Amino acid sequence: MSPAAIMLSMTVNGEPVQVAAPPHWTLLEVLRYRLDLIGSKQGCDKGDCGACTVQIDGVPQLACLTLAIHAEGRAVTTVEGLGLLAGGVHPLQDAFDRHTAAQCGFCTPGILLSAEALLRKRGREVSRAEVCEALAGNLCRCTGYTKIIDAVVDASRVMAGANTQEAGRGE
Amino acid sequence: MASDDAEREATGDGIGEASAAVGDEASEQAERDRVAWQLGKSHRKVDAMERMRGVTRYTDDLKLPGMLHAKILRSPHAHARIKSIDSSAALAMPGVFAVVTGQDFKIPYGIIPWTPDENALAVDKVCHVGDGLAALAAVDEDTANAALRAIKVEYDVLKPYFDPEEALKVRDREGTINPYSRKGNVSKHVLLEFGDIEAELARADLVIEGEYFFEGTTHGAIEPHCALAHVDGGGVLTVWSATQVSHYLHRELAKVLELPAHKIRVIQPPLGGAFGGKSEPFDLEFVVAKLAMKTGRPVKLLYTREEVFYAHRGRHPMKMRHRTGFTRDGGLLGVDARTILDGGAYSSFGLVTTYYSGQLMCSPYIFPAYRFDSTRAYTNKPACGPKRGHGSVQPRFAMEIQLDKASVALGLDPIELRRRNAIKAGEKTVNEFQVGSSGFLECLEKVERSSGWVAKRRELPYGRGIGIAGSTYISGTNYPIYPNEMPQAAVQICLDRSGRARVFSGANDIGQGSNTMLAVIVSEELGIPLEDIRVLSADTDLCPVDLGAYSSRITLMVGNACLDAAQRLRRKVCESVAKRWGVSRKRVTLAGRMAIDREDPARHVDSAQAFQWAEADHGLLGETGSYNTPKDRHGEYRGGTIGASPAYSFTAHVAEVEVDAETGLVEVKTIWIAHDCGKALSRKIVEGQIEGSTYMGFGEALMERHAVDPAHRGVHVGPSFLDYRMPTFLDTPDLEAMIVEAPDANGPYGAKEAGEGPLHSSIPAIANAIYDAVGIRLDRLPFSPQTVLAALRQREERERAGQLAPHKPADRESRRSA
Amino acid sequence: MLRLPQFEVVAPESVADVVTALQRPGARVIAGGTDILPNLKHHLGTPQHPAELPPVLVSLSRVTALRGVALDEAAGVLRIGAGVTLSQLSEHPEVQRRFPSLSQSAGAVASPPIRNMGTIGGNVNLDTRCRYVNQTHFWREALGGGCLKSEGNVCHVVPGGRNCVAAMSSDNVPVLISLDATIVQAGPEGVRELPIEEFYKADGLAHTNAKPGEVTTELRVPLPKGPRRSHYIKWSVRKSIDFPLVSVALRFDLGEDEATVAAVKVVVGVLGSKPRTLSKLDDVVGKKFGDPAVARMVSDAAYAQCKPLENVPYEAAYRRDMIRVYTRRAIEALAASAE
Repeated sequence: MSPAAIMLSMTVNGEPVQVAAPPHWTLLEVLRYRLDLIGSKQGCDKGDCGACTVQIDGVPQLACLTLAIHAEGRAVTTVEGLGLLAGGVHPLQDAFDRHTAAQCGFCTPGILLSAEALLRKRGREVSRAEVCEALAGNLCRCTGYTKIIDAVVDASRVMAGANTQEAGRGE
Repeated sequence: MASDDAEREATGDGIGEASAAVGDEASEQAERDRVAWQLGKSHRKVDAMERMRGVTRYTDDLKLPGMLHAKILRSPHAHARIKSIDSSAALAMPGVFAVVTGQDFKIPYGIIPWTPDENALAVDKVCHVGDGLAALAAVDEDTANAALRAIKVEYDVLKPYFDPEEALKVRDREGTINPYSRKGNVSKHVLLEFGDIEAELARADLVIEGEYFFEGTTHGAIEPHCALAHVDGGGVLTVWSATQVSHYLHRELAKVLELPAHKIRVIQPPLGGAFGGKSEPFDLEFVVAKLAMKTGRPVKLLYTREEVFYAHRGRHPMKMRHRTGFTRDGGLLGVDARTILDGGAYSSFGLVTTYYSGQLMCSPYIFPAYRFDSTRAYTNKPACGPKRGHGSVQPRFAMEIQLDKASVALGLDPIELRRRNAIKAGEKTVNEFQVGSSGFLECLEKVERSSGWVAKRRELPYGRGIGIAGSTYISGTNYPIYPNEMPQAAVQICLDRSGRARVFSGANDIGQGSNTMLAVIVSEELGIPLEDIRVLSADTDLCPVDLGAYSSRITLMVGNACLDAAQRLRRKVCESVAKRWGVSRKRVTLAGRMAIDREDPARHVDSAQAFQWAEADHGLLGETGSYNTPKDRHGEYRGGTIGASPAYSFTAHVAEVEVDAETGLVEVKTIWIAHDCGKALSRKIVEGQIEGSTYMGFGEALMERHAVDPAHRGVHVGPSFLDYRMPTFLDTPDLEAMIVEAPDANGPYGAKEAGEGPLHSSIPAIANAIYDAVGIRLDRLPFSPQTVLAALRQREERERAGQLAPHKPADRESRRSA
Repeated sequence: MLRLPQFEVVAPESVADVVTALQRPGARVIAGGTDILPNLKHHLGTPQHPAELPPVLVSLSRVTALRGVALDEAAGVLRIGAGVTLSQLSEHPEVQRRFPSLSQSAGAVASPPIRNMGTIGGNVNLDTRCRYVNQTHFWREALGGGCLKSEGNVCHVVPGGRNCVAAMSSDNVPVLISLDATIVQAGPEGVRELPIEEFYKADGLAHTNAKPGEVTTELRVPLPKGPRRSHYIKWSVRKSIDFPLVSVALRFDLGEDEATVAAVKVVVGVLGSKPRTLSKLDDVVGKKFGDPAVARMVSDAAYAQCKPLENVPYEAAYRRDMIRVYTRRAIEALAASAE
């Protein structure tokens, strides 16, 4: 039987959330089994695959190696939140869909969150090498990575274009 | 890539416009020749977006009220007799609901009906580290783990066997690893001979002899195995499982649990990768089912990553000795292969693997004599089975290096040597398999041209090299795993008044995109876009039987069944529209969510209207389609059906590598892959299969290793994604996938497989490129830097001793002087 | 999924409160969690904290004082808070400008998300690693009951060995030693600063000189007083998600001419439990950095003085050869880039 749960407060995908969890639970367990945010996946148990990557305060981190308690007071973004941020479908998700960059899709949520952080940080079209560096903590066993790189570069182009347009409108 | 699609649209696939001929037959011809409006384009997969938005529920994402969590107790011994299991203390713990042991599963099972040699949990003995012997269900995983530790097991430890050749020498009962084996540790032996191999080798101008070792590797799907079981009020057992063979799981559950099949429903939720690693029943499915039956509650079990490594069923380690004979102009005369397969503790698909290790080597080259002698041994290791390119990736490695050695010895360009021996469309292999289409020559040409082969062969400096290899694979097997005369695949399609189609298919989409493939076919035939098509798959209650996602069978077999059903519906819809327009049926075509008059394209109605007219004429619009394989394309000998396929795919790989002669590090720069898939139904999906396969082969070539440590009681050398090193984004070379289309009469629109073939030759292409770079032959996998370095040092010694001329001497000389 | 054992977590807000919390029996520090949580999932303890005892994790997550990087020109040091993540450290402009080897080593750890979580304080306290240790409890049971560092009393690396030789696998420690960094430890007896080189000892079970109840609060790296060339060498099988198999930190201080070697320090990791600082490099001093003899002498010394063990995957003999090759090449490349 689990020890007494602790009440935690955090922001998940923009919404304030209160959730009770035992102290030895990871953020991944809280997301998946308490909040039913099953988009974050469990692949390797211990930080070797990246399938559980979420963003904490905008920074990609591994939910399987984050104590739930460490998310207290912080802003967690999961793949469920990625589309919400963009009003439904994020340009990255759209690009992945167009490029068939998700085969089984199990690693994709983690990859999307790593990729989103990269694109936000750069704010411009990214190179293939930059994509590989940024996604080097995420294993994919289906694609051979090629289509994922295609999709991220494409999305960065789309988003940079959108930024330029917005900037243009602002003038 | 977008421009690529536009180009294809513009050229309309090169198929002629509707023929002017009349008559029903001609009309059918016109149907076949119509401009494809979906085929060969790139599509958004029907199920990808919801996976990417975190909405799709994979097995571990399912939760039922009152659900318990199960865990399995595993053997720390590689080989031991179970003296006793005392689970009373565990059962007495609060939160523990039920315990099961091997005594609850005394009926053995096995994916191959001839070799049922494992139990859901060990009954009398455990055969490898990680073998399951007891399981329990508890309120949560922590409680279950604590209870497992309270189960007391007494073992009689037996001598373990980790070396297959040593295991094969054992004759006594004590040393017989598998409890059901009747032939000691011989799991399977196959010896087949075609033509007079000794005579051919005797007349050969050149005989290359080589010994090869292919290390074991595993699938590494990112989703661990998971299963959930629930018994409803009516006594129907539902098992949700991350499986790629729901039908076989259904059968084996019925057998082991002694339940009638109609009392069991198997559902495969969306799957997180498989690659052959989920293509047979595993202990967890039986365990959750039994525990659900015992407790009356839903029970779930999710493997840890370590357990996935013990479940394994991955690539067999193979030790191969090949003798290959050639004429002086490079003609292939014969192959004599002896192979030892290290099977692990259970048969799995091993009977088939043993055949495949020989049967699938008789193409893409044609030669007059062949003998293979393959023996699969039981050893005290996790059982090996089918991994992408089942059984043939290992001998392909040997075969293609043999060819490369011959090309060097004969002074022939290795592509030219392959070209001279290439099997042609319509030819029969030496082991009597009928080959239909073959795009192998075009594959060779494509990789030759795109890689800049001719110039690079001449110009690459010492340390840099380029290598070629070719291969072939099956598009499903002509005979199913259990003998029966029913169709190998069946699909049911319903159309509704809103203009949508529902497709029911037993096939398992494991991420490869088979649901999308079905939607493309339905879309093509019925003129509605993919988003108007709902594919429901892999639910044994709702869908027709399909045998599953293995042996690259789905596109050809399920595709054909789907095409069959879709064409029946198309005829009905076109007929009803034609009737209303007062024209002949052949004038009506379906595309772009419309029924269109071919001769007066301004006249059209939307699909919903067309479907409504057809429903008014015919009643509810539903059709079934079936596919069965040709039974006249194999050899007339025992085993002659195994490996025979309705159609064969072909692949050629060119790899360019850089070898650091001081560190032994091999960097693969680019791999060019041309794959003949007959007809690409959906381009990017096919490219993705080619890229993913090649990537997987690359990982096996350079870094992956699934093995146990014989010096340390048979523990796995590293059952984690840290220790089992799969290439990351930073390790993977550029992959240039090219599609070749040699349509096959047996494939839907000519389509053949694309999911497994393109793995095979990536490995020998890399090996051959390493030879080109620095002059060393790597006959063992993986090509780790210390192996490369050791081979380089050996070569240097031989060069110093004058036994070998320096490799690429001109280049090394010029660099030295620079 | 592989479960964490049950434990309690406390998250004080000040270093003083952390030190107090560490007085509790079974208390262990958790910062980024990327080392301790896999170890806990593997049911691994330490001599002070046997795995059987449920730990009390003292989290540094609320100790904001540990999170800064500050250039202290007056004291001539760069102060790095123990809570600075490896990503932050690697990307910090002052670190990149003044301590390229440290930027490289912090940026070479594991994988991007792990660098976003793991802290420099955690990394210098990284537990030693061994192929026979860092596996599940079940695996070690199958091995025959663990080893010196876990449940057993044998060594699988050195048969008959009585001292644990698990490998010090931190990417950053060799670099920090090469830069003559100091480490600041806060504990019940107060705060002490010691050369980080003296922080490590050759005992795989307890490889640091941390006193009971101490927590690392800061690392101080002396600013270079003149021209310097530094570099971190890491070879691992994969280019990401991997521990180093060859790990060498190079530091050459040059004279005002930016050509003559004034001082040299080379530190090698992933041998035994303690990084090795190469000795007998005096002959290099006074030579021109671009002199090929420098690369040769240093790499030969590395080969002569370093004896890798079979405590990590890949043959020790190969790794020893590679220490020499990579060291020589890195020095040659540094010299070439300086020209």
